[in-house]
Amino acid sequence: MVVSGNWLNEYVDVPKDLTALSERLTLSGTEVERIQVQEVDFDGVVVAEIKSLRPLTGSTKNQIATVTTGDGIADVVTGAWNIVPGNRVPYAIPGSRLGDRRIETKIFLGVASAGMLCSAVELGLGDDAAGILVLDEGAEPGTNVRDLYPPDTIFHLEVKSNRPDLLAHLGIAREIATLFRIPLRRPAMRDSARGTTGRLATIEAPEGCRRFVGKLITGVRVGPSPVWMQARLRAVGIRPISNVVDITNYVMLESGQPMHAFDHSRLAQGRVIVRRARQGEQLECLDGQTRVLSSEAMVVADSERAQAVAGIIGGTASSVTTRTTDVLLEAATWEPRRIRATARALGLRTEASLRFEKGLSPALSLPAVDRAASLLKELAGGNASTGADVYPDPLRPARIVLTLERLNRVLGVEVPTPQAEDILKRLGFVVDRSNSQLTVTPPEFRLDCALPEDVIEEVGRIYGYGHIPSTLPGSRRPLRDIYRAQDADERVREILVGLGFDEAVTYPLTDRRHALDVRLPAAASTPALIQNPVAEDRDALRVSLVPGLLQALALNARLDQPGLGLFEIGTGFWPQAASTAPIREVRLLGIVRHVPPALAGNAPAELRAVEAAVRLVAERVGGRTVDVRQSEGLGFHPGRTAAMLAQGTEVGMAGEVHPAVLTGLDLAGRAIAAEIILTGVVGDESYTPKQSPVPRYPGVRRDLTVVIRGKIPSNDLVQVIRQLGGYTLRDISMLSEYQGPQLGAGARSLSFRLQYQADDRTLTNEEVSTVQQRIIDGLKQRFDAEVRS
Amino acid sequence: MSVNVGNLDAIAVDARQRISAAADEATLNQLRIDLLGKKGVLTGALRGLGSLPADQRSAAGARANALKTEIDQRLNARRQELEQNRLQGLADSEWVDVTFIPEAAVSRGHLHPLTQALTEITAIFSRLGYEVALGPEVEDDYHNFQALNIPEGHPARDEWDSFYLAQGGWLLRTHTSPVQIRFMEAHQPPIRIIAPGPVYRHEATDAGHESQFHQVEGLLVEEDIRMSDLVGTIEYFSRSMFGAERRIRISGDHFPFTEPSIGAAVSCGICQGTGCGSCKGGWLEIMGAGMVHPQVLRNGRIDPERYSGFAFGMGLDRIAMLKYNIADIRRLRESDVRFLRQF
Ligand SMILES: [Zn+2]
Repeated sequence: MVVSGNWLNEYVDVPKDLTALSERLTLSGTEVERIQVQEVDFDGVVVAEIKSLRPLTGSTKNQIATVTTGDGIADVVTGAWNIVPGNRVPYAIPGSRLGDRRIETKIFLGVASAGMLCSAVELGLGDDAAGILVLDEGAEPGTNVRDLYPPDTIFHLEVKSNRPDLLAHLGIAREIATLFRIPLRRPAMRDSARGTTGRLATIEAPEGCRRFVGKLITGVRVGPSPVWMQARLRAVGIRPISNVVDITNYVMLESGQPMHAFDHSRLAQGRVIVRRARQGEQLECLDGQTRVLSSEAMVVADSERAQAVAGIIGGTASSVTTRTTDVLLEAATWEPRRIRATARALGLRTEASLRFEKGLSPALSLPAVDRAASLLKELAGGNASTGADVYPDPLRPARIVLTLERLNRVLGVEVPTPQAEDILKRLGFVVDRSNSQLTVTPPEFRLDCALPEDVIEEVGRIYGYGHIPSTLPGSRRPLRDIYRAQDADERVREILVGLGFDEAVTYPLTDRRHALDVRLPAAASTPALIQNPVAEDRDALRVSLVPGLLQALALNARLDQPGLGLFEIGTGFWPQAASTAPIREVRLLGIVRHVPPALAGNAPAELRAVEAAVRLVAERVGGRTVDVRQSEGLGFHPGRTAAMLAQGTEVGMAGEVHPAVLTGLDLAGRAIAAEIILTGVVGDESYTPKQSPVPRYPGVRRDLTVVIRGKIPSNDLVQVIRQLGGYTLRDISMLSEYQGPQLGAGARSLSFRLQYQADDRTLTNEEVSTVQQRIIDGLKQRFDAEVRS
Repeated sequence: MSVNVGNLDAIAVDARQRISAAADEATLNQLRIDLLGKKGVLTGALRGLGSLPADQRSAAGARANALKTEIDQRLNARRQELEQNRLQGLADSEWVDVTFIPEAAVSRGHLHPLTQALTEITAIFSRLGYEVALGPEVEDDYHNFQALNIPEGHPARDEWDSFYLAQGGWLLRTHTSPVQIRFMEAHQPPIRIIAPGPVYRHEATDAGHESQFHQVEGLLVEEDIRMSDLVGTIEYFSRSMFGAERRIRISGDHFPFTEPSIGAAVSCGICQGTGCGSCKGGWLEIMGAGMVHPQVLRNGRIDPERYSGFAFGMGLDRIAMLKYNIADIRRLRESDVRFLRQF
């Protein structure tokens, strides 16, 4: 909302201390975003009309404008290209002054330039230095530009959505008067003739119109509005058009009630009907565009066709022109949802629709029409004739009962009773106090106040929330509801960070074309799609964290940061059929590692490191053992992928990323990825380790090296070793893998370390050797392996 | 070899010389073997004592034993001397350039700044007795809007433009506030929770706005809760998070689900509240808050006559940006390690 200080001064003596004013308004809920002090520091600048433009010989940057101020013409050289003949522009004549600068006739490339044409910046009227300030058509040539833009202070305010009453100078003035406890001057309103007849207007669709007030004004002389009114409208960014249109805008910006003026003679049968649009009904609007309406839209029509899109924009056919003499003024209260829906459907938001969308009080419309009628009489010679006020369901004022004790308790501060009363009265509330109880009736222009809490807010925001002391709530609370999910996440993060992985946070909204690049077999086979994406590559919810993390690897590789390890904890969205929720939200852990091309041979080792990281997380945070099986998965390398199982259930995968996926991402080298369903490895409850006895007798350690051929997973070997090892074999760890020419093609040598232990005695070497030999024989027999001990 | 006292003297002279000439431990060990070992010189001499006449035998025996003790002592003394010298020369002999620390010596990753900020926020509110509650990111219209006093067509819906799923009726939550409703539906007061998590807004991104970001919601519902409790909580949080010297500023605001509604700002740490390019007149907005609207309590199946409470919501991204001086919100989700490794 843009507000003029000159205009506000009509209703309240605006405090001179702009910092204090800005601070108080902001703290009360209306944020002052910017204050622009419009200083007029020029003389001799007048309105000129561009008659013609021609090139300046020898220059590509400048051109010659021939201008007139009404008497005589002059040539001015200008560097601006935003003007066309017919434009009205500020013209600094020879001998004029802009600040400290004298403007004289100057010679450019042999052409005498009589003064200069001015931009908004040169006049101190705005920030736009790009071109000449093009004035509106209401600016008569020869007029002093000082009269168009008198010195003023322009306030840029952010009004909260529940306060459409503040989208008006009078509303802001009331706030200032209340905050500073100074008098408010309501605009003078001459009582206009109130002849009411139902014939002028009827409502056929009451679901869209709460109240319709119309008044016929006859004998209007259409012309320019007075300079003071034009100046006020210009100051807040509204272009003056004609006295009739300017008055409707003026009343809107004064009171908050949007209005429309019809040329009465252009309305068939001289009356209007409020109805729903016919499906596909067309209307040529005031902005020159023809719009097609749906049957959800409301229109103001005559007996033949729509003449205005209700509450949004008027139609050309019945608009006020210089030939108009009889004007039908409209001030209506439209149903906000319908206005909002129609404005959206038309892609058109106007000063009027912005106000109606927020829900205006129907109490505003009658005074607005009276005010406009009074201004029309004064400024355009019009006489109020018949009127109509169709208001089937009048507003019933709310009565709110509130005890002072409650007011003070909710705020947590003692507001002096007379001050609380004074605040409410200045805001327009009717207050009735008996003892410690207030009975409050909000002003009829405030629909946002219905509950005691609303009244408390009014007192609080004006009294000043800064007066509320700081306390902390305290009461006895039962012990319950221990939520540990975050704790587990924290421990997972600490472990992975300790292993050298960096944490990433990537976008949940992703590109549907990449959403399934890599994913778990248990995941959904299609991503959930967004009906209204903001960008084409953000049109689906991620199924897996891995594609986003791989993109992060690719980005970093391009930034000369190859070989990274990243992880993320986040939600995977898996659409599910027939359930209470359409999406299963799965808490996932994703880990990726880039292996640069030069180190491609390390890919198996990096994969094993990632597998080990997952097992470590499961063991430390969840107290669970993760088993690994050779497997295959979408987007994973067919020979280098592991399924990860906890307590017999598959909880994730780890593997090298399929080379084709990397090609698609333009990532050179290799990449490792793991994706784990976090709740599957860490559980719901945080795991606490439990101590078991430390061995009392020394154990025996024996190493074992097995040479095998073919794709035999070492898991199978471990299983056999464990079976044959019996009670004294406590632990088997994998030491190393070797492949080389000495072993021959397809052969691998695997080393294991076996830990033997008994609880009741020291094991003898002979005892262990017997078991070890049994294992060696078994491995030879089962896997055709060579075994060295 | 004939053994006599003169012979022993020669052994003694030779041994003394060789011991004092020994330059390291290994030489000393070899000397001990050569002199005192089973096949050593002195052992051989002692063995030869038996062939001496009885009158000479005891004197030579005494002399040989004395020599054996002397050699043993000299060997030990020389060993100690050498050890002394070695320790004195350590600074040279074992010097290491301790200022050369290779990058790979300790490999450690970095926690994301959003994680670090959230950990700190969670710790602050834990001290005030809050638990962490979570809710779904895919929400229904009721929990995201209607239960929070934002019916269909409400003008405030424009402030929360939503992403809708192609599958009808579902949207991505536009704020963490629906967790308030879900928690109240399942629990009676007293309630003290914070609810962190991702939220989604259907809007274009720029340095200050993201369509996907994180929020932290707070809800407290007990008997006799006042605005002063809310103000105190905001002050406790702000000064814990940003520094004890910071001040807070409470202004009027509007949210459909709180009444009264307020906005909270913290004094700027750069200009100390006098106003600079990083703040708005000395203040940085950090959260919206207010007393829970009675209808919202009722929607959460809580009796507003008996209980009252407050709620607050802040952008985790914004808090992290203020805390770590991050200028562009988009940096947070790019995963550029040159950014991530600064935290
Ligand atoms: Zn500052």
